[in-house]
Amino acid sequence: MGVLLELIDLERTYRVGSEDVHALAGVSLRIMEGEYVAIMGPSGSGKSTLMNIVGCLDTPSSGVYRLKEREVSSLGDDELARVRNEEIGFVFQTFNLLARADALHNVELPLIYGGVGPAERRQRAEEALHQVGLGDRMKHKPNELSGGQRQRVAIARALVNRPSLLLADEPTGNLDTRTGDEIMALFAQIAAAGRSIIVVTHEEEVAARSRRIVRLRDGKIESDLPVAPQAQTLAAGG
Amino acid sequence: MAIDFKESTGIAFQALRANKLRSLLTLLGTIIGVTAVIAVISLVQGMNQYVSGKLLAQGSNVFWIDKIGFEMDNDKIREALKRPDLTLGDADALASALGNKAYVKAEASTNSQIRYLEHKMQRIDVKGVSGNFQQVDDQEIENGRPLADLDVQRRRSVAVIGSEVAEELYAGLDPVGHDLQIGNRRFLVVGVAKKKGSFFGESQDRYVQVPFGAMLKLVPQTPSVTIGVKSVDAGRFQQVQDEARAVMRGVRHNRPGEPDNFGITTPEAFLSLWRNFTATAFIVVIGVAAISLLVGGIVIMNTMLVSVTERTREIGIRKALGARRGDILLQFLVEAVVLSLVGGALGVALGSSIALIVGVVSPLPAAVSGVAVGLGVAMSALVGIFFGVYPAARAAGLDPVDALRYE
Repeated sequence: MGVLLELIDLERTYRVGSEDVHALAGVSLRIMEGEYVAIMGPSGSGKSTLMNIVGCLDTPSSGVYRLKEREVSSLGDDELARVRNEEIGFVFQTFNLLARADALHNVELPLIYGGVGPAERRQRAEEALHQVGLGDRMKHKPNELSGGQRQRVAIARALVNRPSLLLADEPTGNLDTRTGDEIMALFAQIAAAGRSIIVVTHEEEVAARSRRIVRLRDGKIESDLPVAPQAQTLAAGG
Repeated sequence: MAIDFKESTGIAFQALRANKLRSLLTLLGTIIGVTAVIAVISLVQGMNQYVSGKLLAQGSNVFWIDKIGFEMDNDKIREALKRPDLTLGDADALASALGNKAYVKAEASTNSQIRYLEHKMQRIDVKGVSGNFQQVDDQEIENGRPLADLDVQRRRSVAVIGSEVAEELYAGLDPVGHDLQIGNRRFLVVGVAKKKGSFFGESQDRYVQVPFGAMLKLVPQTPSVTIGVKSVDAGRFQQVQDEARAVMRGVRHNRPGEPDNFGITTPEAFLSLWRNFTATAFIVVIGVAAISLLVGGIVIMNTMLVSVTERTREIGIRKALGARRGDILLQFLVEAVVLSLVGGALGVALGSSIALIVGVVSPLPAAVSGVAVGLGVAMSALVGIFFGVYPAARAAGLDPVDALRYE
């Protein structure tokens, strides 16, 4: 397994009024392909900023970010868009589906921006929806779907372009416990199939499903530990 | 560039349907602008076809010489009226000078009451003609015979009548061979002219044509004549005109350097007046259309800016999924253009309807042309592009992190 991504001494500074806020103050991290990592930390710890940079939505003020051995920290807007399209699948707390479009069209979006033709696009989107168990809901609009189903659509959309990394931000935050468990079970399946996953969360139960937990505090890594196998079993069992 | 066309056009139509009144107000400026353009172009083009058609029907190689000529200025007309009258003698001199190069006719007319039995018509144009009137006028006879040279020479009291006179006065009866009372003189109808139709709502078939000498008996004094000249060879029209002018200057004793004391009118003069008139109409319409489209465009821009703000989060999502600046820019541009094209289509429909209705209820003809429709559509599309660029650029420039965080 190769290196999926590498962060070296990453800093991100925001200017608020006349003051500089160090959201990230020197983060170095290496994640291998196929890893399932949880990033935790209290609010203000910098985990959202880290997620934005890892997801290529934002660029660091200084430091290096290499994704699949490519330096992406200094790319321009359109190049970053391409990287997001090809390498990263996002799953958000609030699902972030387009309300006017049906499930199928939502899943097709990354393929549209990836320049995939209509026929192949449709076929791949249908396939992705089948994989998350929504083969019979393709023509439903988001408001005709339950929260769990919406998140499944979002996961299908995240995976449809076969990204290197599934990047989830509080994926169970807007779901009840049972539905949240279902979604996390789906994540476990996806990880078992070899896809790299990073979950940003503040819920210990969610993080316990991963195999490695990185904790942030005040813009720095506080701890970086593998998850004990029994904890995983416990979490899976409970 | 990957653009979500289905989404963009779908969203535009959805927005239009969702709030019909707001949509109508949004598109009003565009609708008015395009309507004005279509309606006026259609009317002016229709009239252009009509006018040139009528003028060509009259013979494009005919020109007229009279006291005043083609003059629109009242003061100049008043001045020209003081010139010596044109006479039959002038026409004869012209005819002999031009020889077989041209046909020359002379005509003078008066208004008179005409009567057959108890049927009467008031203020009918009674034309006295002489010379080659048949060739110059291209007159066609429906029934009976035209006036003959002998009729003119002998000043016979015979008449050829227009088709409308025949219908109204003789009501079904064949007028040929019957009496016609003009003023207090009795004429014999020898022919009925073929129907010519109307020119700007004015009938061209309400007239009586008599020999020049016979017409003189109806008027207290000899009026100034109008001379019509038709070049036999259409290619030498200008040359014949120049010669006629020289002859007329001689006959009417114009010294070198002195202006003509007569006027020459050509179909070209009518056409150029007409073109001036329509050019003015076009300028007015372009002004109205430009203002409407400007206002319409600003309203569309405002609507698009509201739309961009409302959909900030959507833009964030699209960017997260890999949409580049250009993709977002194009998406919002397409929306703006679809919006303005809908306005343009409504304007085309409305403008065409107006033109067609005017064509039906008034004598003014209208022809809705492909050019006008194309222009209307192109203008509305340009408005969409021009006024859609700024909102679209704002959308495209949004930062994905901020946009995703937008509530």
